[in-house]
Amino acid sequence: MIVIEGLVKKFGANTVLDRVTERVRPGEKVAVIGPSGSGKSTLLRCLNLLERPDEGRILFDGEEITGPKCDADSVRRRMGMVFQHFNLFGNMTVLKNITLAPVKLKIMTPGEAEEAARALLSRIGLTDKADAYPAMLSGGQKQRVAIVRALAMNPRVMLFDEPTSALDPEMVGEVLDVIREVAEAGMTMVIVTHEMGFAREVASRVMFIDGGRVKETGPPKEIFDAPRDPRLQEFLSKVI
Amino acid sequence: MTTAYEAVTAALEWLTRQFTITFITGNRYKLFLTGLRNTLIIAFGAVIIGTFIGAVVAMIRVYSAQSGKLRALDKLCGAYLAVFRGTPIVVQLLIMYYIVFSFIDNGISIAVLAFGINSGAYVAEIVRAGILAVDIGQTEAGRSLGLSSGKTMRLIVLPQAIKNILPALGNELIALLKDTSVAGYVTVKDLAQAGENVRTLTAEPYFSLLFVAAVYFLLVMCITKILRIAERRLAKSDRH
Repeated sequence: MIVIEGLVKKFGANTVLDRVTERVRPGEKVAVIGPSGSGKSTLLRCLNLLERPDEGRILFDGEEITGPKCDADSVRRRMGMVFQHFNLFGNMTVLKNITLAPVKLKIMTPGEAEEAARALLSRIGLTDKADAYPAMLSGGQKQRVAIVRALAMNPRVMLFDEPTSALDPEMVGEVLDVIREVAEAGMTMVIVTHEMGFAREVASRVMFIDGGRVKETGPPKEIFDAPRDPRLQEFLSKVI
Repeated sequence: MTTAYEAVTAALEWLTRQFTITFITGNRYKLFLTGLRNTLIIAFGAVIIGTFIGAVVAMIRVYSAQSGKLRALDKLCGAYLAVFRGTPIVVQLLIMYYIVFSFIDNGISIAVLAFGINSGAYVAEIVRAGILAVDIGQTEAGRSLGLSSGKTMRLIVLPQAIKNILPALGNELIALLKDTSVAGYVTVKDLAQAGENVRTLTAEPYFSLLFVAAVYFLLVMCITKILRIAERRLAKSDRH
């Protein structure tokens, strides 16, 4: 579904991604783990072109999205993204946050979008917050809304960028529950996370990135129970 | 006793005479009314032009800085800001009237244009600061949903920017209203000019000038009040 070939991303003199070649298959749930500054988030942000790679290419459903002629907006409509800091639109109600893109991009009528949004809100148990503004929600509630806002576009892939890192510990569970539900519904996902327990449980494959390179990838069992790469062994010994 | 009584009578007589020669004689109140009308026309016309120019220039500058495109247009905007913030408004007004539009003999239209273009330069910097103060995450969230940069700016960033900059915009509006009092330089009969006119006619400075000052003061109070209401309305998404 997503093919990454020789991806290089530099910020100034700093090479953040160093010739990453990977692929994500339909239905896969890929957990990306690694130390801070290893390039995990940058890789994710390259996938929906929030960052423009310097070299290499990315194919999405067979279409090269890194080409100069590619319409980034149309690619992003098919890729949902959830951010560490939620990034709900502060000037809009929860309902408007969810319906904005489908309506403005003429994918749904306002009526359809609202119906879909209310159904999504009931799925995450926030029906009563439809008319609330983001400032009135807890972190966990904000992130759950951010997830369904992305889902409202019916994306082919969901990208999660450290979705629980900015949450108070007691709110991590409710957000992971929603992500788990999305995974069980068969969504293809790439999730950058520090929640090793969650990665082990939900991911179909774990990818370890260090120094801008994919050092090891495999099923969670292999990665967590029998890591081969010495950097991965060191990383796991620190975080678990 | 008689002296106190006489003093009061004399004062009342003086006041009545001043009032009469300032407003009644020769229907001079009409001069003030015309002046007020012209001042309001210039101020409101200039606000509309200034806001439009300011918003467009600010968006060009932000877009250019973020994307690296539209370099030439960005330079042009920079030059516009430098010139119109770098020279006094009276001089700009005179240049507009006697050089740029020397073939048109309509002081009010030229004043509207001159004040509008001048104000646009200040509004541009206010709006730019407002846009930059909106968290970049808002833009990224909008773009990640597939909204174009224009739609993201218009639907998500600008509304939040305007909320933040309303007090600064109010300041600019107040300054602009008072700045229009130099429109008399190009033969416009504005409010200040009406006061000056009546002062000359009556050979008495008190009523004419103090009255004009009071009218400006009231206008500024009205603007302040309206801005307060607007601020409160826009703040509804902040309530917790």
